[in-house]
Amino acid sequence: MRRTMRLPAGLVAIALLAAACSGGGGSTSAGSSGGVKNGGTLRIGTASGIDSLNPFVAQQQDAYSTFEYIYPFLVQYDTNNLQFTGDFATRWNESADGLTWTFHTHPNAKWSDGQPLTANDAAWTLNTILKFSNGPTGNSAGMLAHVKSVTAPDANTLVITYQKPVANVLSNLQQVAILPEHVWQQYATGKGTGLRTYNNQPTPGHPVVSGGPFVLVSYTPKQIALFQRNPNFYGRKPHIDGFGLQYFANDDAMITALKSHQIDAVETVPVTSVATLKAAGLHVYVGPGLEFHDFIINANPKKTTHRELLNPLVREAFEYAINRQQIVKTAWLGYAQPGASIVPPGTGAWSDPSVTPLPFDIQKANQLLDQAGYKRGPNGIRIADGHPMSYQVIFPNDEAGAGDRAFQIIQAGFQQIGVQLQQRPMDDTAAFNAISAPNSTYQTFDLAMWDWVPLEDPDFILSVLTCSQYGNWSDSGYCNPAYDKLYQEQGVAVNPKARQQLVYQMQQMIYNARPYIVLNYQDVIDAWWNNWTGFVESNQNFFNPLSKQSLTEVHQT
Amino acid sequence: MSAVQEPGLTEGLSVQSHAGFLRSVLRERKAAVVGLGIIAFFVVLSVVAPLVVPYSPNAQTCAVFAPPSARHWFGCDDGGIDLLSEIMQGGRISLLIGFTATVVSMILGGGIGIVSGYFGGWVDVTFMRIVDYLLVIPDLAFAMVISEVWGPSVFHVIVVIGILEWSGTARVIRAQVMSVKERVYVKRARAVGAGNGRVIFRHILPQVGPLLIANTVLTIAVAIYLETALAFLGLEDPSTTTWGTILEHAFARAAVSAGAWWAIVPDGIAITLLIMGCFLFGQAIEDALNPRLKVAHLSIRRWTLRTLVGGAAGMGVRPLVGRGPDAI
Amino acid sequence: MRGADYVIKRAGFAVLTIFVAITINFFLFRVLPGNAVADLSRVPRATPQLRHALEVEFGLDKPKWEQYLIYLKQLAHGNMGVSYATQQPVSTLLANDLKNTIPMVAVGTIAAILIGVLTGILSAWRRGSALDHLSTNLAIAFYAFPTQFLGLMLLILFASVLPTSGMMNPFVLGPESLWARLKDIGAHMILPALTVCLTLYGEFTLIMRSSMLETLGEDYVLTARAKGLPDRKIVSRHALRNALLPIATVVAISLGWIVGGAILVEFIFTWPGIGWAMWQAIYQRDYPMLQGGFLVLAVSVIVLNFIADLAYFRLDPRIKE
Repeated sequence: MRRTMRLPAGLVAIALLAAACSGGGGSTSAGSSGGVKNGGTLRIGTASGIDSLNPFVAQQQDAYSTFEYIYPFLVQYDTNNLQFTGDFATRWNESADGLTWTFHTHPNAKWSDGQPLTANDAAWTLNTILKFSNGPTGNSAGMLAHVKSVTAPDANTLVITYQKPVANVLSNLQQVAILPEHVWQQYATGKGTGLRTYNNQPTPGHPVVSGGPFVLVSYTPKQIALFQRNPNFYGRKPHIDGFGLQYFANDDAMITALKSHQIDAVETVPVTSVATLKAAGLHVYVGPGLEFHDFIINANPKKTTHRELLNPLVREAFEYAINRQQIVKTAWLGYAQPGASIVPPGTGAWSDPSVTPLPFDIQKANQLLDQAGYKRGPNGIRIADGHPMSYQVIFPNDEAGAGDRAFQIIQAGFQQIGVQLQQRPMDDTAAFNAISAPNSTYQTFDLAMWDWVPLEDPDFILSVLTCSQYGNWSDSGYCNPAYDKLYQEQGVAVNPKARQQLVYQMQQMIYNARPYIVLNYQDVIDAWWNNWTGFVESNQNFFNPLSKQSLTEVHQT
Repeated sequence: MSAVQEPGLTEGLSVQSHAGFLRSVLRERKAAVVGLGIIAFFVVLSVVAPLVVPYSPNAQTCAVFAPPSARHWFGCDDGGIDLLSEIMQGGRISLLIGFTATVVSMILGGGIGIVSGYFGGWVDVTFMRIVDYLLVIPDLAFAMVISEVWGPSVFHVIVVIGILEWSGTARVIRAQVMSVKERVYVKRARAVGAGNGRVIFRHILPQVGPLLIANTVLTIAVAIYLETALAFLGLEDPSTTTWGTILEHAFARAAVSAGAWWAIVPDGIAITLLIMGCFLFGQAIEDALNPRLKVAHLSIRRWTLRTLVGGAAGMGVRPLVGRGPDAI
Repeated sequence: MRGADYVIKRAGFAVLTIFVAITINFFLFRVLPGNAVADLSRVPRATPQLRHALEVEFGLDKPKWEQYLIYLKQLAHGNMGVSYATQQPVSTLLANDLKNTIPMVAVGTIAAILIGVLTGILSAWRRGSALDHLSTNLAIAFYAFPTQFLGLMLLILFASVLPTSGMMNPFVLGPESLWARLKDIGAHMILPALTVCLTLYGEFTLIMRSSMLETLGEDYVLTARAKGLPDRKIVSRHALRNALLPIATVVAISLGWIVGGAILVEFIFTWPGIGWAMWQAIYQRDYPMLQGGFLVLAVSVIVLNFIADLAYFRLDPRIKE
């Protein structure tokens, strides 16, 4: 029931903005039986949904996936090899100093309304984002960090210059939709507030002016978005005539609709439904995902209460007391992988394979706590600095469902090591408030549980743990100048090998400090009826903001 | 004085005490016996639950969504927990919430109703405006906001329901008090110098007592109903097992599409039965208080049930105590 | 003059209650922990300037009492503000939600009223008969069913036969006849409206039955019977009219609640109405949406109560001012 809000408002943005991910090996062309049959409308069900069609307002993943299919992007991922490939830009090059990037775009391209689609539209979009970055376009500004200027010397060339080298230029630009200047320019006046209030919704006879493989022809909030093939698209045309994205308020309704053929495919199937769907004869895809769930231990060195939690022995003991296998088995019914690094294996080469979880070992955990000198009190609860080791675990709504079960397993484990846990559920906003209290100083909270959806590029998830994220993304209070320095270095390391070493080093640093005990990576599970095939899967499901491949390839058998 | 029968309230009943009145209700009304029986069944079950649960109500003892079997009569939920044990344990908390919230709302509603009706004036006006607000705001939406403010916990749910449900009671009691206060013996008592406190406790309270009891039992039903609804919307502490959270967990984990009807049906039936019990019992008391239902010139047999229509034409007429269409 | 005084007094109370509702609503949502801007400004590499800009945009940089005055002023101009979550005017969003909610809940409620009144009358008329027992017990059972439980049962039972979510088959590209569309919406409406109807009808049965019984106990019924009138005539000519008096009030008020939607029902059946919108707004800390929604609900109930009062006043000469 909480699918809609599953990612906290904040984290949602991550997932989406962060959309820069593509499955580490997650791309599978499902099924190859039968020939390609063109035509037909693919009916997709989602329990997440489009929150807004305005790229400066939207936060949900489905909205960003929609933008991927209706707007040109300079580049996209090829989910088969995780490399960048051309989209509106057919080729590009960077200057030797890494400061100037030149993109050559499709000539003679047209928007769906027949207006020319040129590099000028791209330049206008990027410049508008820069111009209003401290206000209306704030949600996209991060993708253009350190950009000095954007120009379009001719209709088919875009030049972006940076103040300093940026390691993940393409992954950033992959997330910025190019908007039709002739539609949007009227809103970029004054303070630019019109850029946020424009709803960008189609009306009968007036589809959203699109430049991608599909045109958004009709949209009813909280119900349906309907797309038709765009005859003016500059790239490869899709096999299907169109597709629809239907929104469901809860998983049960969605799975029921799938089983009764009211829809053809579903993204993000609840783990409890997999068996029934398989039994009903549907094709169920299970693959590695990016989302991970973590147990947070306040890592702020300036923490005022329960300072024993800062003791590395305690933190290590806690990890030994967590039964990850049991969590995967009960909470996720096996559809998750135990893990330890904040950079999920789903990101491919960025995840450090040497960071592995400690085994579940109550004896070892007890030994560590004994070593730390925290003796058991009369009721079996250990005493630390004069108070019992009994803590509240802040538990955001986001984690409800499987997270409740995970908590129960962790709680039972901790009981065996003389540490008492209480679940303190609250909604996501209140949870963030409680974690960062008072006044974004992270001095009072002890423990929490939450999840992250990192991107294909590790920059974002690494940034979450920097000191400057206090009051913003930080949900652990972790702040370490040495880590921040590495973060800066990886940000300008234009050599991928050198950057990989820095990223590995940071993962190890976090693993050892344990602001998070990463519990598991959640699998991506999608399902569709067998008369459809050709989906290109990714670690962000088949309808994703990574590439235009999936719904271009999909077809009936 | 308390036994004096006044017209319009307990006219037609000859009872010497509240206990006697209840006895007579039980003797005369089958529905009251059935209702009380159901309530008693669940109360006893809750008390003995920890001793008789077959399995732990919060540890995994079987497979996820295992169907009912000889070992697990009601099957297992999404955490592999025995549902029979969980429902028995959950009943404890649900009943606790129902009863405590009702006590809170009775004290608030009864107190404010009496004070408002007895003193009148600006006290009355102030309280009645607050009552009006609570009556025009849908319970569930209001409860959602309050639960959000405080965060989900059993204690907060109790307080929220208490705050919500007092308004209906206050209105009914106030109307009763206003009529009682005009009666001759009350006026006489005041004339001979009885203080306000004495008049309220000696003369008013005994008169509105039976109505308060009827209201209490009906409010328990509403409180339990609201608890399950709040839990269903995710506003109850998920670590607490109540009838509401059992249903919520099942739904959140897609029990319907997984075919696990057993995670929903027994629990729902338990809730329904208890609400029916409270309703039958509370209604029987109320009917006994309404002499007009005793006579019907069309047919002879007596078997009555009636719902409480607040003070008739007032702003806040509400079909039943607490639960209006807003509860859907 | 009796009538005019009464109307003015009642209207005064209604207006006062609306004002109380506006005020309580405003402060109710301002005590929520956490703030909307913190959420919206949590985007990669957000700057303090961005947060401040958003606060200024939403007027959250001003003291609460000033925000309250601004809110009152806006309301006076019919402006309910802009939703934080979608940046669209609250009035547009709410109008859209209401457009979806009202038909479904109205169908359910009206069906409930009709069934309730009919079964109530039959029950009272045939008091003590098997029919009475059956009807009364059914009414109690449905009254006792928690809405979400009933909804889930219907979902389990009818999942393969009837549409279980949304308002219509949304995958219709191209033109469709109005009739086909209406039929489609009707099919989608069955389950949610049925849930609403079943949850509510028991209440009407019970009220109608007891109201009827009270009437049948009146002396004039005895008189009519003494005169030798057949039961059917007594019921239809004399008792019914009086017995309908209280139910008229209850009906008027129930209609007021229709606007309130049906949070649980909309949630289970993905009906994009106002109840569900409120639920989402709470999770998104969308104050303007919440305030607007609560205001619409309060006003509709107050207005219908007011109408009920006037109707009752007209129908029942016994009411004094």
